[in-house]
Amino acid sequence: MDPATAPWWIWPIALFALTYLLGIIAVVAGIGGGVLFVPLVGGFFPFHLDFVRGAGLLLALAGTLAAAPLLLRARLANLRLVLPLALAGSIASLFGAVIGLALPTEVVQSALGITVIAVAVLLWRTDPAGHLATESDPLGEILRLKGEYHDPAEQMNIDWRTHRTVGGLAAFAGIGFFGGVFGLGAGFANVPALSVLMGAPLKVAVGSSGLTISIINSSAAWVYINRGAVLPLIAVPSILGIMLGARLGARLLRTMPANAVRHVVIVAMLIAGVRALLRGLGLWI
Amino acid sequence: MDLDRDHDVYARWLDRMVRVAFVLTASVFALYVFGALRPYVPLETLPSLWGLPLAQYLERSGAPVGWAWLPLIGRADYLSLAAVALFALMTLVCYLRVIPLLPRLQAAFALAQVLVLLAAISGLV
Repeated sequence: MDPATAPWWIWPIALFALTYLLGIIAVVAGIGGGVLFVPLVGGFFPFHLDFVRGAGLLLALAGTLAAAPLLLRARLANLRLVLPLALAGSIASLFGAVIGLALPTEVVQSALGITVIAVAVLLWRTDPAGHLATESDPLGEILRLKGEYHDPAEQMNIDWRTHRTVGGLAAFAGIGFFGGVFGLGAGFANVPALSVLMGAPLKVAVGSSGLTISIINSSAAWVYINRGAVLPLIAVPSILGIMLGARLGARLLRTMPANAVRHVVIVAMLIAGVRALLRGLGLWI
Repeated sequence: MDLDRDHDVYARWLDRMVRVAFVLTASVFALYVFGALRPYVPLETLPSLWGLPLAQYLERSGAPVGWAWLPLIGRADYLSLAAVALFALMTLVCYLRVIPLLPRLQAAFALAQVLVLLAAISGLV
């Protein structure tokens, strides 16, 4: 079907279907969904990238807001760990959003393509588990970046702490900036920053990453809203789809083969990344 | 004293707000797409506009920026935008609620975050 002649109502239905599916696989693959949504919708739907990024930020925001209460109650998201990191990320994301909306579309599209391809390769090659921190660094001690959660698999309470706090703050500022530019939650980068760099347990890293995205994207989303870059016809079906899909994904988490889903995500990211890059370079409009 | 009470309070407030916002967003969006409420930019016109860069879209549609959309909240598209904006307000509400429960240093970080969010919401950035 030619996108130019298709009736308007096809697109919200297609967005809902796509984001419902993204919601399921994002939970199982441990990503936010925005990193697939922005290049896929930007590459294969008729909307301008400005509106896709606005919807992408809100989609990542809504999905993580919906998951945060469960993660906080399970102590897998730690508010004290997230407070300083999200503050650094929020300030940077505001600048990222402003710069992203000011840059030429082709530049953003090409950079998005390169970023998504690089993330796919990173996901494929790295082990996000990292090494656990055994001692806090002085700043981490002052900020009380430590906690405890109950691991049902191990049937025990796990004490944890983080280190390399300054590096962590710098990493979250960088991640927040890129998230603002591209309209992503950037969970793919938060998790290794928390686990590999700061030494948090993987479960705490995944949980706290979600809470961090919900805070950082709240700031950047307002830049897009205030500048008129949020079209409800694109944003609303995407938000509703990802929230409903994520609920099913959370239920399927134990039964779905996580490794197979991860491979599907990597292939989808490579396709979406190549499409975004070629579109940005004017080779495949 | 439960040192993590802030986590439970944050979770409880956020959970309730997300549920309300989800139902509200779905309801007003239904009014929009089923034509029960007139939008500012007609649905039939949108396909000729949504492929344009933001600046051109704003010029051609006459859509407002900043908080100038608030008087248009009776129109279906801006009512849906208001519902979406609720999601971007939730973190601010949760922070304001837990600040009194946090130790002094963490409360300072939370207060700074509130200021950043207010700057973003106001359109200063």
